[in-house]
Amino acid sequence: MANSCWCSSVLELNQLGYRYPNAQQPALQGIDLHLQAGQCLGLLGSNGAGKTTLLSLLSGVLPPSSGAITWQGERRLGLVPQQLAFYSGLKVRENLELFADLYRLRGHERRQRLDRCITSTALEDKLERRAERLSGGEQRRLNFAIGLLQPAELYLFDEATVGVDASSRQLLLAAVQELVAEGKAVIYTSHYLDEVERVADRILLLHEGRVQLDVDTHQLLGDQPELFLEWPERMPDTLLPLLGELGLMAEQLPNGVRIASLDVAQLLAITRFITLQPQAPSLLRFGRPSLEQLYLRLNGGRL
Amino acid sequence: MRLRALVRKEILLLLRDPHALAVLFIMPTLFLVIMAGAMSSYLQDRLPPLELVLEAPQQSDSSRFFLSALQAQLPDSQLLSRGPAEMTRIRLAADFDERLLDTPHQGPSLSFPAQFDRLSRQRLHAAVTIALAQTRLRAYLQDSGALQEGLTSAEQLELIQQRTESQIDEQERLASGDLSNQANATQMSVPAWLIFGMFFVVLPMAGSFQREQQSGALLRFRCLGLGLGTLALSKLLPYLAINLLQFVVLLSIGIYGLPLAGLPALELNGSLAAYALLAASIALATSSLGLLLAALARSSEQALLLGGGINIILAAIGGIMVPKSVMPEAMRQLAEISPMSWALDAFLTLLVGHGSLNDVAPWCVRLLLFAALAGASGLFLFHKRVQQTQWTTHY
Repeated sequence: MANSCWCSSVLELNQLGYRYPNAQQPALQGIDLHLQAGQCLGLLGSNGAGKTTLLSLLSGVLPPSSGAITWQGERRLGLVPQQLAFYSGLKVRENLELFADLYRLRGHERRQRLDRCITSTALEDKLERRAERLSGGEQRRLNFAIGLLQPAELYLFDEATVGVDASSRQLLLAAVQELVAEGKAVIYTSHYLDEVERVADRILLLHEGRVQLDVDTHQLLGDQPELFLEWPERMPDTLLPLLGELGLMAEQLPNGVRIASLDVAQLLAITRFITLQPQAPSLLRFGRPSLEQLYLRLNGGRL
Repeated sequence: MRLRALVRKEILLLLRDPHALAVLFIMPTLFLVIMAGAMSSYLQDRLPPLELVLEAPQQSDSSRFFLSALQAQLPDSQLLSRGPAEMTRIRLAADFDERLLDTPHQGPSLSFPAQFDRLSRQRLHAAVTIALAQTRLRAYLQDSGALQEGLTSAEQLELIQQRTESQIDEQERLASGDLSNQANATQMSVPAWLIFGMFFVVLPMAGSFQREQQSGALLRFRCLGLGLGTLALSKLLPYLAINLLQFVVLLSIGIYGLPLAGLPALELNGSLAAYALLAASIALATSSLGLLLAALARSSEQALLLGGGINIILAAIGGIMVPKSVMPEAMRQLAEISPMSWALDAFLTLLVGHGSLNDVAPWCVRLLLFAALAGASGLFLFHKRVQQTQWTTHY
């Protein structure tokens, strides 16, 4: 795990809360978080769970109503917001140079960071093109590049890859992983859970303004494969007694079961059972669950 | 470094925005040339020549003297003995000579076509009255034997003119009051549309702030901790510079461009320091108003409607579209609330009144007070808008 290499803390949240003016319920309450250098936190939650409020608090756009945000050292924040936060009338190079000036980058560091963010986002041959004439995906890459250009200890990525094609997305995710490998802390929020699964080593799930789950990604996904079985109408009545005989614990689903921690002999016994049934299952999946499946399960199917 | 980068960005964006450039430079230039041309026959130093028919059924010394006296009153005009029925006519009575010394006296009859304007009618009426008075004086002198024998018609006219002319001491107190009735078309149009154009910086200024907020660039600035002063100056400085450029370019068009269109050239009378003060005052007033509108509007469309609407209203009541000299008193009073009117009065004080720095100072003080008020309100609202910039979620 990447965070095992970096021990210094970047940020600490203690009982952080925020209530919007005139709102009855707080948008966020009692958030405790300790984020370390080299750690990538996948921030998940359904709409209205409090993700945007948390990002606003971290970026200093909103002041906390309660609790505290403690930065270890200077607050140096890089951000890639959902909006295309650049000037469409300027060329790609002019946009990058403008933000390099605003980030007070000079000399060697300026050249180095500009080269790096251009390479990371594959914008080399678009530098002299006006941002308004870039494709949607290229504009996303420019937005990403401006965020990467900023020297920071913590980077916030909010739906940073929306509209980006598959190959460009791989490039951008690699850039995030590179930041983490360099010891930067990252908070990554996206509705593409496969992306979060790939880059995040820790998952923070918010629900109604509270932390519902704060867990290591690998621990959450587990190493043990599980078996999903589902029938089109009704599962066979003899399935549950069989699982009992095999000594397996099963979670009952509407027309099927989820069976965790089973060995090869147990798997073979179940397979034999299935072949003897008059109706074949509509779903049979064996393997590690995806973050998306876990998320839907944990979040009760909420989007 | 940050301020310089933001100012450079603003200027680059403006130079690449053809709509903004059209609004700031092409629109006022077109207005300036078109309106100077359109008003050239109304607001002019020399009255246009008239073409008239003088019908004199009785050819006598008196009727010929009347013709000479009238021609002397209307030196560039053409007096014909006959012409089409639709021409303006002066008809002398058939017994013009016999009734010349009658009291009361029945003068010639005038007939005008419908399109003969009121000013020309008044001018012709005055010329006929004077010529007739001179003709009657000649008849009286002749009748009483006081007119020297053997004088030519021209000598008689010169003598009568000497008898009827008085030296009137005229003193013009320049650089005071509304001088729009003294200005010619160039002196009126150039400053009027220059001011109008300068006030239009509020549109690109407010639009650029809206785009910045909507795109999320302002969110980045906020997270970077950019100060309010840097942000406000990054908007004010480029547009102040643009305003000063407009001032120079549009005045130059007045000086060098209008003569090419056959219109009188603009002469920069008055003190150059006063022009500099006036340019700075107008630029500060417009940029501050731009900042206020930028902070007030909630979208680019709103900025366009608000900025355009306010400018047109200020221009309409401020004597930009219609000279204040032709407005009724109530409208003239209303004009006093428009900063465009203050700027135009200051300009006319220089161009027409040959004013000094002191003469334009009262108007510049008003403009600067307006700039301070709009700027302070704008800064306050601008600060609130920046504070309200949120991390927005679309997905």
